[in-house]
Amino acid sequence: MAAKVKAKQQNAVAQGTTQNRIDAGLFPFLLILPAIIVIVLVIAFPLLYSLYVSFTPYELLRPNSLNFTLGKALRNYQKLLNDDVFWRSLWNTVIFLAITVNLSYLLSLALSQLLARVTVGQSILRTLLMVPMMFAPILVGMQFRWFFNANVGLVNNFLISVGLIQEQGQIAWLVDVPLGMISIIIASIWMNIPVLTIILLAGTLSLPAETFEAAEVDGASGWQKFRFITFPLLAPFSYIALTIMSLDIARAFDIVRIMTDGGPARRTEMLWTYITRLAIEDTKFGLGSAMAWITVSLSVLFTLYFFRQLVKARIVR
Amino acid sequence: MLICRLIFLVLAFSLLIPAAAQDEPQYAGLDMDLSGTTIKMAAIGGGQYEVMYDSIAVFEEATGATVEIIALLDGFAIDQKLKVDFATGAADYDVAWDHTSFVAQYTPFLHPLQDFFSEEELAAFSPAILDAATIDGNLYLVPRHADISPIHYRADLYSDEAIAAAYMEDTGEELTVPTNLDQIDRQARFFVENGHSAFGYTLAGKEEALTGRFYEMLFASGGALFDENYHPTFNDEIGVAVAELIAGWYQDGIIPADTTSLLWDGVAQNFCNNDVAVKLEWYGWYAYFQDADSCAVAGNFGLARGFTGLSIGGDHVRPSGWAGAHAFSIPATAPNPQGGAQLIKFLTSHQVAYEEATLGFLPVRDDVWERVIADAADAENPLDRERLELARIQVSEDFKTPPLIAEWIPFSNLFYPQLQAIILGDIDAQSGLDAAAEETRELMESAGYY
Repeated sequence: MAAKVKAKQQNAVAQGTTQNRIDAGLFPFLLILPAIIVIVLVIAFPLLYSLYVSFTPYELLRPNSLNFTLGKALRNYQKLLNDDVFWRSLWNTVIFLAITVNLSYLLSLALSQLLARVTVGQSILRTLLMVPMMFAPILVGMQFRWFFNANVGLVNNFLISVGLIQEQGQIAWLVDVPLGMISIIIASIWMNIPVLTIILLAGTLSLPAETFEAAEVDGASGWQKFRFITFPLLAPFSYIALTIMSLDIARAFDIVRIMTDGGPARRTEMLWTYITRLAIEDTKFGLGSAMAWITVSLSVLFTLYFFRQLVKARIVR
Repeated sequence: MLICRLIFLVLAFSLLIPAAAQDEPQYAGLDMDLSGTTIKMAAIGGGQYEVMYDSIAVFEEATGATVEIIALLDGFAIDQKLKVDFATGAADYDVAWDHTSFVAQYTPFLHPLQDFFSEEELAAFSPAILDAATIDGNLYLVPRHADISPIHYRADLYSDEAIAAAYMEDTGEELTVPTNLDQIDRQARFFVENGHSAFGYTLAGKEEALTGRFYEMLFASGGALFDENYHPTFNDEIGVAVAELIAGWYQDGIIPADTTSLLWDGVAQNFCNNDVAVKLEWYGWYAYFQDADSCAVAGNFGLARGFTGLSIGGDHVRPSGWAGAHAFSIPATAPNPQGGAQLIKFLTSHQVAYEEATLGFLPVRDDVWERVIADAADAENPLDRERLELARIQVSEDFKTPPLIAEWIPFSNLFYPQLQAIILGDIDAQSGLDAAAEETRELMESAGYY
C-alpha cells in the first residue's frame, strides 16, 4: 500500500514537472500573444489581403470583380510592366528619392556640425530648427505651392523686384521641366531636414572628446578632423537617419499631391500619385494594389540595404 | 348691421390669410412625424456650402428627427469617401452628397428617388437637370443648386474707343463682346499683343476641369467626345483644331505660363486681378468678383452667354454649356431612407433653396428663379439682375452635362494628361489625341462597352 502511494506521488511529481515545462514554454508566447494578434489583424491581414487583391481585377464599384482566376492572376502586374506611365512614375520616384535623400542628408550633416559648435543661442536655434516639423505635409505643400506660383508667388515676385526677370516673363516653376521636380524636392528637403539634423547632432555630441583632442595634438586641421574622425564615427547615425528617411519619404505624397498632383502631363508623376489615381479615382483597386506591392517591395529593398550598411558600420566602430 | 360686420370680417380674413401664407417660409418635408429617429448625412463642406445646414434646426424641430452630419468634405474628397463606403457596404447614412458629373458611377448603390418623390414635387425642378440625373429611367438625385459658365469680359477693354479703333484697323472688324471662339482667339491675341491685358484668355488646366473645358469647346464647335457606341471621336479634325487652339494660346503667351497647374481658384484669381481680357467662368464666383476689397476687376466686368465654337465645325451654332448640379441622393444601404427623403425634400424646398440662392448659387427651381429675379429688379447694379436672367436662360437652354457614364472620371484621368502634353508642346495635337483615343478604347472595352 505504501509502495502504491509512493508510486502515485512520484507519477504526480513527474506530471507536474512536465506541466511546468509546458507552462514555462508557453508562458512567454502567451505574454506576446495579444501583440501578435494585433499585428496579424492590423498589419499582416490587410497586407496579405491587398496582395490577394493585386491578383484580381477588382474595381471598387464592381463588387463582383473580386474574383481570383489562376490564369489571369498576374494580369495587373503584366499590365503595369507594359504601362509607360508606370515606368515614368517609377523613374520620377527614383530621381526624387535619390536627390531628396542625398541632399537632405548633406544639408543636415552641415547643419548639425554648425549647430554642434554654436555657443550662443543654442536653444533658440534648435527650437527654430524644429519649426518645419510642426507643419503637416499637406500644409508644407500648400505653402510651397504659393511660393512657386507663377503669378502671385513669393519666388517670382522676389525675382521681379530684384530685376532678374520681367513681369511678362514669369517662371512657371510648377510646370516647366525640371523646375516642377526641383520645386517638389525643395519642399521635401525643407520638411525632412529637422529630423535628420537632430539625429546627426545627437550623434555628433556623443562622439568621444579624447579622439578629437588627440587629433588636435597631432596637428589635424578642422577638415581633417571631420573627414577622418567625425564622418566615419557618425556612420551608424547616418545610416539610421537614412533608413528612417527612406521609410518616411512616402510622406512626400501630400506635398506632390498638393503642389503638382503628378502633373502637368505626368512630368512629376510618382508611384504614390499614380497609385491613388488608379486605385481610388479610377476605382481600379486590383491594379492599384499591384502597384502598391511593387512600391513596397522597392522600399523594403532600400531599407534592407541601409540596415546592412548600418550593421557593417557598427561592427567597424 | 351685425351681418354686415360679419361679412366684412370674413372678407377681410379671406384677403389676409393668403397674404400671410405667402409670407410663410415655403418649406417641404415637414409633414411626417420622425420623432426618435436619426437621419445621417454625408455632406459637402467648406465656405458657402455649409450655410444651408443651419436651416436643419427647423426640420429637426418640426419632425422630431435628429440630423447627424457624419462627414463634411470637399467634392472630390466626398466622391472618394462614397466610392470606398459603397464598395465596402459602409454607407450607413441616409442622405449623401451627389453631383451630376459623378452620379453615373454610383447608380448600383443608390435608391431610385421616384419611389419617394411625387411627380408634382419633382415638377418644381429644372427638367434639364432632372433629365441629366435620370439613368435607365430611374432618378438618382434631387438637385440642390446648379452652375454653368457665361463669358466674363473686362468692360473697360470693350468700351474704350481708342482700343476699338485699333482693333478695327488691325482686324477689319468691330470690337464687340465675343460670341464665338474664332472671335475670342482674335481678340485675346490683340489684347495681349498690344499690351491691353496680361492675358487674353484663361482656363483651368488640369484634372476634370481641363477635360470639361475642352469638352465644351469641342461641343460648341460641333464635335463630340464619343459616338453613340462610346467610341472616341475627339481626335477628329474638330478635336485637333480645339487642342491646337489652346496649345497655340499657351505657346504665344495668351494664357498664363502656369495654366496646366491652375484649377478654379487660380483661374478666378487671374480674372480678379484684372489680368484677363475674356474667359468662361462659373456664376458662383460673381460675389467674389464684385467685392472691391478683394478684386481689382470689381465693377469692371460684364457677362455674356457662353460662346459658340470654331467655324471649322459649321456656323458657330451651338453655345457652350458644360454644366453640373450639386445634389442629394439616398444610398441603397441607408437605414432610414424615408427619413432621408424627407430631409432632402426640406433641403431642396423653396425656402431653403431661396436662402441658398441669395448667397450667389444658381437655383434649380423655377419658383426660386422668379423670386431671386424679382428681388434683383431694384438692385443698384443692373448686372445683378442681368446675371440672373442670363443664368436662367443658360440653365434652361444650354445645360449640358458630361456623358453620363461611370467611366467619366477614369476617362478624364487618362485624357487630361495627354491634353496637357499637347498644350505644353511635348506632343503634337493629332498624336496626343490619337494616343488618348487609344487609351479610351481600352478603357471602354474593359468596361464592357464593346
